[in-house]
Amino acid sequence: MPQSAPSERPAPFEAARRMSASAATGQEARDWSDEMAAVAGRRDRDCFLRIYDHFMPRLCLYLRGVGVPEAVAEELAQESLLRLWQRASSYDPARSALATWLFRIARNLQIDRLRREAGHPQVGEQAIDAEWDADPGTTEAHADQVQLQRRIEALPPVQARLIRMSYFEAKSHQQIASELGMPLGTVKSHVRRAFLRLQGEMGGEP
Amino acid sequence: MSPRHHLDAATLVSHAAGALSPEMSAVVALHLAGCAECRASLARADAIGGVLVEQQHPAHAQGAQHARLRDAMLARLDEPAPQPAAPANADGDPDRLPAPLHPYFGASWRALKWRWMGPGMHYIRTLGPSGGTMLLLRIGPGRRMPVHGHQGSELTQIVRGAYDDALGHFAAGDVADLDADTEHQPVTAPGEACICVSALDAPLRFPGWFARRLQPLFGI
Repeated sequence: MPQSAPSERPAPFEAARRMSASAATGQEARDWSDEMAAVAGRRDRDCFLRIYDHFMPRLCLYLRGVGVPEAVAEELAQESLLRLWQRASSYDPARSALATWLFRIARNLQIDRLRREAGHPQVGEQAIDAEWDADPGTTEAHADQVQLQRRIEALPPVQARLIRMSYFEAKSHQQIASELGMPLGTVKSHVRRAFLRLQGEMGGEP
Repeated sequence: MSPRHHLDAATLVSHAAGALSPEMSAVVALHLAGCAECRASLARADAIGGVLVEQQHPAHAQGAQHARLRDAMLARLDEPAPQPAAPANADGDPDRLPAPLHPYFGASWRALKWRWMGPGMHYIRTLGPSGGTMLLLRIGPGRRMPVHGHQGSELTQIVRGAYDDALGHFAAGDVADLDADTEHQPVTAPGEACICVSALDAPLRFPGWFARRLQPLFGI
């Protein structure tokens, strides 16, 4: 049984392929804990701008990927980085990589924007903080991130595509299933297996 | 006691990716508040998002537009930081509903307007703006719910009491993360009433005749 019938809308495949190609350049994530300590402790603007220059274009690309119009993406990315500046002292490098912290902030701002437009309840600052406080914390968040990056690059293509479609197009598994012509149960079990592999719980098994 | 039934990894990934409906997210938030294990899993799912952001490779990062935005950012650094919202802390208040449910059912248990659905069974249904349904159920102890299946997914958090079905024993704090192909018949435990909240992304399917009579009550 073919796992993915040809889609009438090829865009997700394209997006996934482009992302796989760019992921394959193998650049390792940087450790920003010194810069963040300087921003939190001395309100160091140079360090903040180094973080800004690195993450501003990446956040814009992420937000464009989940369907945010360009001008709004810039606005939300700016807002995310302003939060980073204002709340730098609550960032703990032992608990999560800076990219993860920024991902959460940008994602929650984006969800709030969508819900505000649709008249839905908001996620709000408190939810961001609650999730953040609840983070169990590891002593090696940066090392974990580097390892996670390697595992993402090593995912089998179908799993890699589904993970990227989930995060980068913020698509529900039902939407992904209809777009790829895959049964919903198959999409979910691929995502489940990908998640376990990324936690290192499945060894070399595909 | 820590929960024994947890969120499916696929649900956590969707939540981390921001792809769940507001109703499903609210039930996820309710479960996370009481489940350290799922909070830890969610942190790992968020980390995947972090890596994917990191892996973005901007083509021309340092153009004129970047310089303009950079200046605009610098100009905002002296803005006073907004005060974090005061935590709506009312944990000690037994009348207070868990916060994620407030947009759907209000903040007070006493003020809930339960509707009769059958002997010992009451419900409140709220339709979310996106078409998802939130269902609050109060089933008396020792009651047998009608067999039902799901056209979409059902995410149910047990708030009080307990029930058993073919999938196991579900007590307060547990979540039942059910697929479209699951059909089940919960039986509530003796003792206290079972209160649970379900997010549905499609109507329930009731195969039996009694259940079909209930169906209009759910507005289907």
